[in-house]
Amino acid sequence: MSLLNRYIHEVGRFLPRKNREDIKAELRSSVVDTLEDRFGTEPSESEVEGVLQEFGSPRDVAASYHPRSQYLVGPGLYPLFRMVAWIVIAAVLGAQLLAFFVAVFIAGEPFSVLETLSALLNSVPSSLGWVLITFMVLQYFDAKPYLEEEPWDPKTLPVLNPEADLKKGELVLGLVGGILILVLVTLFPQWIGFLSTPGGGFYPNPVILEYVVLIQISLLATIMLNIYLLWKGSWDFLTRIIKLALDGFGVVILAFLIKGHNAWLAARGASTFNAWISAIENNNWELVGMNAFRLAFVIAFIVTVIEIFSTIFRMVRSKMANDVSARDFVLKVD
Amino acid sequence: MMMNNAQSEQYLKLTQELRRGILVLAALSQLKEEKYGYALINSLAEKGLDIEQGTLYPLLRRLESQGLLKSEWNTEGSRPRRYYVISSEGLSILEELTAEWREITNVMEELLAGIASEGDLK
Repeated sequence: MSLLNRYIHEVGRFLPRKNREDIKAELRSSVVDTLEDRFGTEPSESEVEGVLQEFGSPRDVAASYHPRSQYLVGPGLYPLFRMVAWIVIAAVLGAQLLAFFVAVFIAGEPFSVLETLSALLNSVPSSLGWVLITFMVLQYFDAKPYLEEEPWDPKTLPVLNPEADLKKGELVLGLVGGILILVLVTLFPQWIGFLSTPGGGFYPNPVILEYVVLIQISLLATIMLNIYLLWKGSWDFLTRIIKLALDGFGVVILAFLIKGHNAWLAARGASTFNAWISAIENNNWELVGMNAFRLAFVIAFIVTVIEIFSTIFRMVRSKMANDVSARDFVLKVD
Repeated sequence: MMMNNAQSEQYLKLTQELRRGILVLAALSQLKEEKYGYALINSLAEKGLDIEQGTLYPLLRRLESQGLLKSEWNTEGSRPRRYYVISSEGLSILEELTAEWREITNVMEELLAGIASEGDLK
């Protein structure tokens, strides 16, 4: 019966720890029952082989005892896993490229194809590994990615409203861009600045460094909102309110940054447009760069304010569209 | 009509799917008296229902974890065996499942009789 012992041992290797010995004992007793019934108390080796074949391979037998299907990431979590995995791949590749450009074109490090490739080969699988580990834990605890209430109510289906549709491309682009900037301000804050000429002198921006934490918070919150929106598939009242709040927060940070640049430039007597022109003429790159940053922040400030108004406008229009579709429905029913 | 390989594979899968649904009812119906696994397989086989051992044992454990069966090791025979018997909760479920089964078979008989009389099953 050494074959039977080997079989039971092998099945045991794949069984869940809980009840393992009990299942092994029952399996042994069942195989012996079958053998005795068919071949008496002393079956031959080939007869044992035949019965074990019938029971099935140790892995298959053990798998049938697992309480839940053996998924690393089950069908319920898979769509979310796939989305997060793609975003992570895009962000990691983007961050690598960014780091590469900073290293080669700003810090002036020598270019190495091999190093760049090996960095990519390391970072992509390891970040995907972390995503997988996170989802494996979620799967283990049977986490549900949906916030739907039980029992499901058809009335909770999202209203068909083109105004609420997301522009996915824009969202993904914004998401990847947000992650890249977050990586930049978190890992390489000393490299936020400007170059006098390609490969020339580098000037870090002291004002941005002062507000790094606020910028990180704002970016992180926006990234989380974008991920949620991608998952949810459409805007709703709450997400628009959060977007408004985040844009408002962004405007405050931009105002601080503009004020900071103003003060920095005023201290050097260079806050006016004319002073900027003369700085260019005099090749005073530090003043030119800080002025350029201030201009960029002013533009970002204006764009964000317009964005806030457009969000409010969309909220109003979305509300009106809802009212109209409800009225149409009532008319048709009548 | 002869079936090709793909068709017979598909037929096998569909048959397994069809039978899977009735195994719980079949097992519960035979466990009003306590039985160990192999005896249950034999008693089902005698009545014409062949069930693979690899399917039955995990099913019994699942039914036990759901409270529909009770089990204990019995060491009185030639070797220890795990005996299963239906619980009171299992009995009431068995009753309901039996009623459901009768209804389904009535409906199916009617549906299939219709097809057979139209001469669709050749």
